[in-house]
Amino acid sequence: MKWSSNKSWLLFLPAVLFLILPLYGLAAAISQSFQQQGEWTLSAYQQLFQSDRFLSAVGFSLEVAFLSSLLSLLIGLLFTRSFYPYLASHTPRLIVWMPMLFPHFVWGYMVILLLSETGVLAQVFTLLGGDDFPTLTQDSRGIGIILTYVWKEVPFVILMLLPVYATIKPEYYDLVKTLGGGAWSQFKQVEWPHLLPVMIETFLIVFAFTISAYEVPALLGTTFPEMLSVLSYNWFYGSSWDDRSLAFAAMVLLSLFILILTFIGYIYMNKKRFRMMKGKS
Amino acid sequence: MKKSTFSLFALILFLFPVFMLVLQSVSETWRFQSGEGIQFQLDSFDVLLSDPNLWEATGWSFLIGTVVLLINLVIGLGTGKALTLYSFRGKSLVEAILLAPILIPVLAIAMGLHLFMIRVGLADTWLGVVLIHLVPTVPYSIKIFHNAYRQLGVSMMEQPLTLGSSPLYQLFTIELPLMKPAIRSVTFLTIVISLSQYAITAIIGGGNVITLPMIFFPFLDTANAAIMAAFSIWFSFLPFGMYVLVEGALLLLPYSKKPWRISQ
Amino acid sequence: MSYVLEANDLTKQFHKERILNRVQFQLKKGEVLSIVGPSGSGKTTLLRTLAGLEKPTEGTLSMSGHDITEKKANERSIGLVFQQPLLFPHMTVEENIRYGAKFARSSKKDSVTDLLSAIELSDYRGYYPAEISGGQQQRVALARAIATEPDVILFDEPFSSLDPKLRHDLRIWLREFLAERSITSIFVTHDTEEAMLMGDRVGVFHEGTFQQIDRPEVLYKEPANAFVARFIGGHFVLSEHEYIPLSNCSVTTNAYETGRRYMATIQHITFQHGQTIAHMSMEDLNKTTTLPVAGAEVGQTVWLSFPDEQICAFGGRAV
Repeated sequence: MKWSSNKSWLLFLPAVLFLILPLYGLAAAISQSFQQQGEWTLSAYQQLFQSDRFLSAVGFSLEVAFLSSLLSLLIGLLFTRSFYPYLASHTPRLIVWMPMLFPHFVWGYMVILLLSETGVLAQVFTLLGGDDFPTLTQDSRGIGIILTYVWKEVPFVILMLLPVYATIKPEYYDLVKTLGGGAWSQFKQVEWPHLLPVMIETFLIVFAFTISAYEVPALLGTTFPEMLSVLSYNWFYGSSWDDRSLAFAAMVLLSLFILILTFIGYIYMNKKRFRMMKGKS
Repeated sequence: MKKSTFSLFALILFLFPVFMLVLQSVSETWRFQSGEGIQFQLDSFDVLLSDPNLWEATGWSFLIGTVVLLINLVIGLGTGKALTLYSFRGKSLVEAILLAPILIPVLAIAMGLHLFMIRVGLADTWLGVVLIHLVPTVPYSIKIFHNAYRQLGVSMMEQPLTLGSSPLYQLFTIELPLMKPAIRSVTFLTIVISLSQYAITAIIGGGNVITLPMIFFPFLDTANAAIMAAFSIWFSFLPFGMYVLVEGALLLLPYSKKPWRISQ
Repeated sequence: MSYVLEANDLTKQFHKERILNRVQFQLKKGEVLSIVGPSGSGKTTLLRTLAGLEKPTEGTLSMSGHDITEKKANERSIGLVFQQPLLFPHMTVEENIRYGAKFARSSKKDSVTDLLSAIELSDYRGYYPAEISGGQQQRVALARAIATEPDVILFDEPFSSLDPKLRHDLRIWLREFLAERSITSIFVTHDTEEAMLMGDRVGVFHEGTFQQIDRPEVLYKEPANAFVARFIGGHFVLSEHEYIPLSNCSVTTNAYETGRRYMATIQHITFQHGQTIAHMSMEDLNKTTTLPVAGAEVGQTVWLSFPDEQICAFGGRAV
C-alpha cells in the first residue's frame, strides 16, 4: 500500500513527537556547553582539553567500552554460531536471556558478590589455602566494569544475531560445500555477508551504551581513572556552577564522537547494500 | 555431546549467577573462607520488605514502568505499522534516525532536558521521569514492532480492510492477537530498561521521585550481602508482575480463548 | 440502466510509469468478468484500485450509479480474494467466516452455517487454518469474502498457488458456486483457458488497458488486434493488420497450392486431445507456429498455405 491519503502520516505522529525529546535534549546540551554565567564562550572546551582528569577519563572510557563491546560481540558470535540449533526451543532461550531480566547495576552487584576480594571466589580461594586474590572489582583497570558489561551484553548480542542465523538457508552451506569450501569459507561466504550489518549495528549499540552509561562504573569503578559518564555526572552535581558547562561539553563531545562513528557505519553499510543491489541487476 | 556443551555453558554463564543471587538471598552472608557452610534464613527478605521506602519505591517504579510501557506500545505499534505499510524515499534514513536515540548518550539528553523540565514544571515529577525513560526504550519498541508487522505481511493487513474492518477493529482482532510475542518482548525490555535508570532518574526526578534504583545504590553501603541479594531478586519480580498483567490483558483480546491449539 | 460497477478512464501513475491507462469497463449484475493478461500488465494494480487499496491518479469508479472513487477499501461493498488464502491463523474456520459476516449489511443468523455447507467444510468448522489443506483454505477465504455480502467480489489469481488437479476442480466448483448465487465478480488470471472457463466475458489486459472485452467466442473469432490474436491463440498473425485462423491453413508437402505459402520445418512433435501437433519454424517469416499435422515427423519440411479469401483484418469490437 502506498500513501493512500495524507492521514496516513498520523501513524508517524507519535514517533515524531517522541523524537523531539532527544533532539531538543541534545540541542540544549550543546547550547549550554557554550555558556558560562550567561555568556557565550568556548572556555568549557578549552578547560576540558587542559584537564588531565578529563583526558585520562577519555582514554579509560574508550578502552573499557571498546574492550567490552568487542568481547561481547566475539563471545556472542561464537556462542550463537556454535549453539543456534539449540536456541530454537523455548527453555534454552529463556536461560540465555536470564541476565536481561536484571538491570545492569544488579548484575554488577552479582559480579561483586562472586568476584570481589571478599566475594565467593575469593572465599573459596582462601579456603583452599591461596592468598593474595587479585583485585577484580573496583579496580583501576576497569576489569570489573568490563566483566559486568560482557556478561550482561552477550545475551543481547545473541538476541541480535539469532534471527540472522535462523534466516540463513541451509542450501547455501550445501552450495559452498559442493564447491569445495571448508568451514572458514562457509563462514566467510555464507554467514558473514548476513552478519556484517547486524554486527555493525550491535557493536554501535553496545559501544554507545557502555561508553556513556553511569550505573555500572559508579558501582564497579574506582575514583581514578574514572569513566566519562561518572566524571560528567559528578561535574553536573559539582559544587561550582562552571563545572556544569564542563559536564555538558564532555557529554557533547562524547555524543559527537558516537554520531560520527554511527555515520561511518551507516555510510559503509549503505555502500555495501548499494553494491549488492547493483550486482543483482 | 554438543548439546551437553551448550547446557554447560548456558548454565554456568547465565543460570549460575542468578542461582547464586537467589541462594545468597535466603542464607546468611557467606564466610566460606572459614569453612562455614550455608545457613538458610529468610530474615533478609523480612528486613527488606519491612522497609517502607522499598514499598514506596516499588510503587513508583511500577507506575512509571507501566506508563512508559503504554506509551511505548502506542508509539511502537503506530510507527512499526507505518514503516511496514508505506514505501517512500529516504526510508532507511528514517529508520536510522528512529534508532539514533539509543546511540546518543541518554545522560547528555537528560542533562540537556533538565532546564527545560524545570521551566515547564516537569522536573522533580514522575511524569518528567516517564518522559526521560522513553528515550532509551522507544527505539527498541519501534524496532520490535516493525519486525513483527513485517512478519505479519502487508497482505494480512489489507485482507481485513477489504472485508470491511475499520483500522481500530483490525488492530484488536487481527494485529494484536498475532503479535503477542512482540508485545511480550516489548513488555520485558521496557520495564527492565526503565528499572535500570539511576542517573537520568536522579537528574530529572531531582531526588523527589524515589524509584527502586534510587534506594538500591544507598543500600549498598549499609546492608549486608544477604539483604542486597534479596533486593537484587526483588528487581526481577517487577518484570514478572508486569508480564502477568500484560498476559492477562492479552487474554481479553478477541480470539484468544484457545491459545494451546494455535499452531505457530 | 446503471451498472453494478463502472470504471471511467481509470489511470494510475507511479512516478513516470503508467500502470493503468484510461481503463474503461462496465459490469452487469450477476456477471463474471475474467481479466487475462501477461504478468506485469497491470491486472493486479487494477484489482487493487477497484478494491480501494490503491487510489487512481485519474478517472472515476462508480457502483450502481454512485461515485465511490474516494471511498476507502473498508467502506466499499467489494470483496477481494487474494492469491494466498490469508486466513487469520488465530481463528477457526468458522470464526474466519463469521469475521466476514460481521460486516454484512443484513444479518442472517444462519448464513455462516449455510456457507460452511456450501463450501463443503461443515465438518471442519472448529479447525484452525494450519490444520486444513491449501484448497480448503482457499474455499474458506472465498466463504469469508462472500459472508460480507459484497456487491462485487474480486479474485486475484486465487488458484495459482494450488496444484493443477486441484486448480481444475476448484475452477468448476467456483464457476457453479458463483452462477447459482448470481454473484457479480471479476476474476483475474494469467491463464487463457481459466479466463474463458470462468468468465461470461473475458477482458484481455495489456499495457495498462483492455485490448478487448467480449464473450470468449467473439475474442476467438474476431480478435481486435494482433496482441489479442496472439494471446488467445488459434490464429496465425500475418501482420499488425491481418491474421488467418489456423483452422483455415493447410499443410502440404508439395508446393503446388495457390495463395500465400511459406516453407516450415517441423522441430518438435507433441500429442494433445488425440491429435499430433507439429511445432514448426518458418525461416522466411522468422516465426514459429503449432498446428495439428497428421503423420508429422521431426525434421520434415512442409508448406503452409494461407488462402487469400480466408485472411481477415483485425476489427473485433475494440475498446
